[in-house]
Amino acid sequence: MNDESNVDYQQEIDTLRNRFGFDFVSIALVQPAEDQFVLTWQYVSGNLNKRYKRIVLYSGKGVAGIVFKTGKPIFMEDVNMGLDSKDLFNYPIIIAEQLQSLGAVPLWKGNRVMGVLLVGFRHGNQLTEDIFEEFQSEIEPVFGSLDTKEMVDQ
Amino acid sequence: MIPTNQVYMAELLDKMYRNSKEAIFFIGNEGKIMAMNPAAENIIDIEIIEQMYSNKEVSICQTCVGYTNEEAMISCLNCYLANPEEDFSSFQVYFNTKDLGVVPYAASYHTIDELQGIHVFMLLDLTKQFKTQEMLYRSNMTKYVIKAQEDERKRISRELHDSVAQELLSSLVDLRVLKYMNVDEVVLNKLQQTEASLTRLLEEIRHLSVELRPASLDDLGLEAAFRSHFKWVEKNYGFLVRFSSELSSARYNNEIETVVYRICQEAILNALKYANTDEVHVTLFESQGKLQLVVRDEGSGFNLNSRDVKGTGLGLFGMRERTELVHGQLMMRSEIDQGTVIHLSIPVSPNE
Repeated sequence: MNDESNVDYQQEIDTLRNRFGFDFVSIALVQPAEDQFVLTWQYVSGNLNKRYKRIVLYSGKGVAGIVFKTGKPIFMEDVNMGLDSKDLFNYPIIIAEQLQSLGAVPLWKGNRVMGVLLVGFRHGNQLTEDIFEEFQSEIEPVFGSLDTKEMVDQ
Repeated sequence: MIPTNQVYMAELLDKMYRNSKEAIFFIGNEGKIMAMNPAAENIIDIEIIEQMYSNKEVSICQTCVGYTNEEAMISCLNCYLANPEEDFSSFQVYFNTKDLGVVPYAASYHTIDELQGIHVFMLLDLTKQFKTQEMLYRSNMTKYVIKAQEDERKRISRELHDSVAQELLSSLVDLRVLKYMNVDEVVLNKLQQTEASLTRLLEEIRHLSVELRPASLDDLGLEAAFRSHFKWVEKNYGFLVRFSSELSSARYNNEIETVVYRICQEAILNALKYANTDEVHVTLFESQGKLQLVVRDEGSGFNLNSRDVKGTGLGLFGMRERTELVHGQLMMRSEIDQGTVIHLSIPVSPNE
């Protein structure tokens, strides 16, 4: 588990968190076939607790599952506006980290999504469209080159 | 029989007439009201009573709306007034009452003096009985619905597990065989991706099947079904269920197991959605001939009497209905900031 790419990830998200002032940054990675390709939050920065470790998402479930399945970013300026509170329990990471404003982008490897990068604030309306766009262009050079990097521990 | 003299008898009859809760009318020819007791006066319109006291002829028809016969709920066909020789010892009649509108009564109509054509007409209020009947009907209905839903879930779940998943698995095996044939690198790569997607699909179908109704509940019993469900909850929601069971592998009647499973599922879902906590304690044990389930969280709790419902409000109702299905008892205790405890106990006969 402790190969060099892990260290990179942790550093990258810590840097991102400082750079943009996010409350929480995390990366979910697809697990190998033996684990039925589930998604788990592997790297976190600014977490409140260790609940993220328990979360195991299937494709289409939760924040990471949806980004993974659709290959499109999710952007919620205000969680309460974007989601029905009755539906919120389906997004455990939002509840566990008490996120109020968040965005998530797919990380590509070849033509497949291999991970999801989530950034969020614990107060509503803090992640504006502008910041989210700036963030996306900022991560291009770092995470855009994923297809040449071997990320998943085999 | 205790011997009674005529005077005493008359006194008793008089008391009965005055104090009875049953409305008693004495009816003459063509439905003319000759006399009525206080209970009857309570029912009918004050205007009619006034008309009576001013010596006008008042017919029972002015307040009667109709009676129930084989053809209709409220009908005037073959009116009991017109056919005194037929058996009208017990029937249902609708009266237009002064406070409550049209109300059903159980009635009896007998001739007591054939020569002068005098009849006695007695009414017993049926409203309460009707309500009881309606409640009974409604709860029976809910039980049927719950049962139908459970059966249907079981059917679809089996179908998914036994036929859809099996078919998919055999296609997957076929696909794997392809890998050992002479194919070039590009095809092999694509093949691996397809295999991965199919494996994921298979997994999803299995999950769907278990979510609908876990086969382990029927095959292995409560404890096994609970363990896999709790693992699933933990993974999907990051919600920890601390489970302790003293049942080992004891089996119960299928209906009981279903009820316990569903109620526990609902209770956990409630805790997960509303309690603002990330763990819940579930205890399953048998004591005093009862199967007991306790689901306890230390979350935000809620006011049991408050009408401000957070969800659909059907969850708790459904839990109670299910409990009634197996003659169990459901106790709920919750206080703001103190958490919630749900305690279910179901009587089980020792030989089961």
